[in-house]
Amino acid sequence: MERTSIALTVNGVRHERKVEPRRLLSDFLREDLGLTGTHVGCEHGVCGACTVLLDGDSARSCLTFAVQCDGASVRTVEGLGEIGALHPLQESFRRHHALQCGFCTPGMLMTALDLLAKYPLATDEEIRAGLSGNLCRCTGYANIVAAVREAAAARGDDRP
Amino acid sequence: MSAGAPAGAAGTARPGIVGARVQRREDPRLLTGRGSYTDDRKAAGAVHVAFCRSDRAHARIAGIDAAQARQAPGVLGVFTAEDIAAVARPIRATSNMPDYRATEFAPLARGKVRHVGEPVAAVVAGDRYLAEDAAALVAVDYDPLPDITDPEEALADRVLLHEDAGTNLIAAREFARGDVDGAMTGAALVVEDRFRIRRKTPAAIENRCYLAEYDAGRQALTLHGSTQVPGLLRDALAEIFDLPGHRLRVVAPDVGGGFGAKASLYPEEVVVCALAMRLGRPVKWTGDRMEDLTATSQAFDEIVRAKLALDADGRMVGLEADVIGDIGAYSIYPWTASLEPVQVVSFLPGPYRIAAYRGRVRAVATSKTPTGPYRGVGRPVSTFVMERLVDMAARRLALDPAEIRARNLVRDEEFPYKAGSGIVWDRAGFQDCLRMALDRFGYAERRAEQAAARGDGRSVGIGIASYAELTGIGSRISAAPGMPINTGTERATIEIDSTGAVTAAFGIASHGQGLETTLAQIVAEELGVRVEDVDIVHGDSAAVAHSTGTYASRSIVLAGGAATLSARSLREQVVKAASHILEAAETDIEMRDGVVSVAGTDASITLRELARAFYTEMRRIPKEARESLDLSASATYDPFFGTTTAATHIAEVEIDPQTFGVAVRRYVVAEDCGRVVNPMIVDGQVHGGVAQGIGAALLEEVVHDDSGQILTGSFVDYVVPSAAEIPDIEAVHLDTESPSTLGGYRGMGEGGTIGAPAAVANAVADALSGLDIQINELPVTPERLFRLIRNTEGNEGEPRHGF
Amino acid sequence: MKPPAFEYVAAESVEEATARLAEYGDDARPIAGGQSLVPMMNFRLVSPAVLVDIRRIAPPDAIGEADGHVRIGALTRHRALETSPLIRDRFPVLAAAMTHVAHLAIRNRGTIGGSLCHADPAAELPAMAVLLDARIHVARRNGERIVEAGAFFEGALWTALEDGEIVTRIDFPLLPPGTGWGFREFARRHGDFALAGAAATVTGSAGRAAEVRIALFGVGETPVRAAAAEALLTGTGFEPDAVAAAIDALRNAVDPDDDLHASADYRRHLAGILAGRALGDAWARAGGGAA
Ligand SMILES: Cc1cc2nc3c(=O)[nH]c(=O)nc-3n(C[C@H](O)[C@H](O)[C@H](O)COP(=O)(O)OP(=O)(O)OC[C@H]3O[C@@H](n4cnc5c(N)ncnc54)[C@H](O)[C@@H]3O)c2cc1C
Ligand code: FES
Ligand code: FES
Repeated sequence: MERTSIALTVNGVRHERKVEPRRLLSDFLREDLGLTGTHVGCEHGVCGACTVLLDGDSARSCLTFAVQCDGASVRTVEGLGEIGALHPLQESFRRHHALQCGFCTPGMLMTALDLLAKYPLATDEEIRAGLSGNLCRCTGYANIVAAVREAAAARGDDRP
Repeated sequence: MSAGAPAGAAGTARPGIVGARVQRREDPRLLTGRGSYTDDRKAAGAVHVAFCRSDRAHARIAGIDAAQARQAPGVLGVFTAEDIAAVARPIRATSNMPDYRATEFAPLARGKVRHVGEPVAAVVAGDRYLAEDAAALVAVDYDPLPDITDPEEALADRVLLHEDAGTNLIAAREFARGDVDGAMTGAALVVEDRFRIRRKTPAAIENRCYLAEYDAGRQALTLHGSTQVPGLLRDALAEIFDLPGHRLRVVAPDVGGGFGAKASLYPEEVVVCALAMRLGRPVKWTGDRMEDLTATSQAFDEIVRAKLALDADGRMVGLEADVIGDIGAYSIYPWTASLEPVQVVSFLPGPYRIAAYRGRVRAVATSKTPTGPYRGVGRPVSTFVMERLVDMAARRLALDPAEIRARNLVRDEEFPYKAGSGIVWDRAGFQDCLRMALDRFGYAERRAEQAAARGDGRSVGIGIASYAELTGIGSRISAAPGMPINTGTERATIEIDSTGAVTAAFGIASHGQGLETTLAQIVAEELGVRVEDVDIVHGDSAAVAHSTGTYASRSIVLAGGAATLSARSLREQVVKAASHILEAAETDIEMRDGVVSVAGTDASITLRELARAFYTEMRRIPKEARESLDLSASATYDPFFGTTTAATHIAEVEIDPQTFGVAVRRYVVAEDCGRVVNPMIVDGQVHGGVAQGIGAALLEEVVHDDSGQILTGSFVDYVVPSAAEIPDIEAVHLDTESPSTLGGYRGMGEGGTIGAPAAVANAVADALSGLDIQINELPVTPERLFRLIRNTEGNEGEPRHGF
Repeated sequence: MKPPAFEYVAAESVEEATARLAEYGDDARPIAGGQSLVPMMNFRLVSPAVLVDIRRIAPPDAIGEADGHVRIGALTRHRALETSPLIRDRFPVLAAAMTHVAHLAIRNRGTIGGSLCHADPAAELPAMAVLLDARIHVARRNGERIVEAGAFFEGALWTALEDGEIVTRIDFPLLPPGTGWGFREFARRHGDFALAGAAATVTGSAGRAAEVRIALFGVGETPVRAAAAEALLTGTGFEPDAVAAAIDALRNAVDPDDDLHASADYRRHLAGILAGRALGDAWARAGGGAA
């Protein structure tokens, strides 16, 4: 199958690649760019493990073709903090034991970042509703909710 | 258990690393996307497998035409049963249990297919996209056979799934103690019902994934895989491929959840290994969600008829149960198909004092996905049944559900207590957990609030569930009945290398439980170093000589015990070495935070210096002394019987009286899980387990149509709860030490899932207690409630007024 | 589950998109947000030979008011509908419906045009189109037409669109002042498609319901207006008997299917309960007819 050239920015780094049109963004990130922090749990949009920020908005990388991202800017979990210098949201997840196997975690973090940017998250109910598109089979969610609650409170005055 | 003196006796002044909320060692890499799950691994030249899977529940394979698939772009080969059989010896899940029939384990279907999703052919191509394209071109010619979907009908053997077994009854067993018939006839009250729990699937968020690499030079095979049981797999694959263990290595890198689903031998594991050897290239299979929902082991599919007899004071006098387990198409290796159904009858008497018990179980093969271990194994079902019976009895006797439990739970002075099924409970806080749970829940006030809510027309219900389980079981008891492998020991090796770094190696395989942290806590405390000084190696069959892995709430008890034993003997070695180096008596040597010192002096050296003195500066310790020393120690721990873990759960639900939507509002767990290594991690395990139990009670169900097709092949249709369906869960711990295990630990990984279905079912029944309906089937979906309520209203019309 | 191979065309204008679609015939499909199409492709339930990406044929998130209508560009994303002050003011029922559509990550990509053209029987936006008498603007090579929402949905995942046609804009006629609204749905898990749902508007006048609209979704092949129930309630003061009669009528009118999550009977039951609640909300918001 013919390949198409695309150029996009991932975590601030520009990449030019030729891709088959059917290549999912999730596979492009994981296989072509080696950014395996973005996980795949269903490839039908339900589990949320593959969530990344696409031009600043959270999106399912399993429901997006890489060709559609020509010119786009993508942020993945690798673009947050690093070991030894975690992003505050990652810190909060760690402090609250909001991860066990860690498989859902990158998607949870990227979703939470977008929720924090867009919603007041004033109640647990709102946080839970916001996270409901990301399945976690390990934690029972309470600690994830606590981590996001703390991050919401720490936003200060720039809250939406 | 030589060094296994009860830990409670071994002094209580602990430095406090064990018991502390230590932050997890695994978190930084997992939070930053730097973890390494199997699918993250790249192997040069790797090729990908896609399976052509059966779309029939039961059919004879008349022919397979792979010609077109072989011609498809990028395809390296299409393989079927014969190709695998040529290199892999057959293996069966055997058991010395009488009345058990092992079924053949064929990695690719041979002759027949027996469930939708069964692998029939393996297509290898350059990448997964191409492999899938080609797999769709494999044409399998099936002669349909009658489906065997209903387990009760399957018992009649009109159609056989395994002709060579001669029957669909794969296993049968009976337990009996005391005069059950007498108890039933003499009882003031007998409550009984037929209970049904519908099939679940563990649904770890990481799908199964395997990567096999064959080193033709060394003739050695390495399998990286999402598995809980690398050691167990290594041993099985060694038999299948007739390879010695040192040329066969199974590694579980980061694993995205297991819950039992990744604790068995799978066809795909054998296939990737066989193909890696045949093709001389790394072979990878990354399962997708549909494959997970059709071809990963499922669970909790039982029909239970049970009767409980009580005297007029509500004391239990007899219990009888008949269990039919729908085990699916094959008896899974190594656990066998008897694992789950036998556990149901074994644990049915629960934590109660019941003199007479008779339990019968029949495990029946059906044309569905094989069942296997899933968090709780059998006990979510037995607890659901027993706890429903207890509440039904309480209602008939006008006793409070808390009171009837208090009257019947085994009391402290009665331990060790032998239950009717032969299980022996060691001392655990059965009564204490009930009291603590009621307390934390605020039971009396909540009951008052419930009454007020009812007055306002709201349907609020409170449900209690108490249970006990055996955890950390040792060599005396097999993890599955009659299974010929040892699951009762774990081994640890701790080493101080020439840089002074401490590495502790285990065969267990952490996949979310945080064992890299908790085992490091135990090693650090026993050895006298800091947690961050210890590196934990696990999930690698090459790490220790023998291990089975992480399942059955065993790792902290068994690996923790092995860690304790080996750390203690390593510490003795360090002390001896230090006494030479520091020229002091062994009794004066202390070690704390990785610094070795002489008591009462300022003479001290770091572990790094000690290691240098031992390994490099050869004059520091005399040759003879050095040769009798070793900065490495190994030990195997066997808890022999194991221990008891107990808990009481209390759930509060509210039901919308018109839509029948059920919301879980509050949830409390009081648990005796022995000595807590890390409360943060323990609470996390409880939360996750309860969430799975709530899912099992309200949402989750594997559904087949009449022809055996799975209708729940996606996460749209197999409904795993999200954050919005799970409440905050409060957990309280008794924190007493088990008398039966080294360190006083009890296993606790599964309990949440054991108690929750029962507690939620009881809460739903309580909310609807004004109606004459029985909650005897899970999940209790809005649809089921609608039907139940409409049927009691005795007409086909609308239950328009709710209840 | 990887999608089958296809050829990808990114169209820059309506003309280009319709031209390319016409060229490839029924082998081609437009793709907007991809949030319904890509899951189906990943399951290999559909395998178009050509995908014509229409995201760039018009500015995104176009919501404006003109000629007594709110006009919404087909490429307007769910998230924009959810947050638009104009929508919140003119069609609070639509703003409320949006909070039930999937999850943020999907609302960030999914478009109103895609949702209408996908025509899932349980989706909220098709129900809104039907409730609010939307007019759906359709373009094809060298032509345009307008389809009334009531005639747009022909079956489950089936619309009046013909090969080569795309939706470009949806016009929602403004509601009379004093119109109250209600929106209720029941899903097993937050953000999932509903087992059933109901939306209503009531325009009150002197204690009477001058106009009543009820749309039901998830209870048949397409979203439907409950015409008989609407008629029974029009002119009433929402007396309990009138409401009960309307609910009975609406339950008799729907024809849901059994599926894995709910039986036809339960869906019919839910339709009545949810419509009753939505009507109650709408009546109350309309001032209980007091206006
Ligand atoms: C996990 C999950 C949960 C969801 N939950 C809900 C929910 O609760 N409620 C709900 O309503 N939806 C839900 N959705 C669907 C979502 O709303 C979709 O975004 C929407 O239905 C489709 O919009 P799209 O732009 O992504 O369309 P696409 O996926 O791009 O296209 C869908 C179909 O419409 C066609 N199409 C798209 N645009 C046009 C056009 N302008 N003209 C002609 N044809 C066109 C395509 O060819 C395709 O056939 C869910 C989706 C997911 C993945
Ligand atoms: S992998 Fe994308 S949502 Fe599950
Ligand atoms: S931490 Fe395992 S799935 Fe969320």
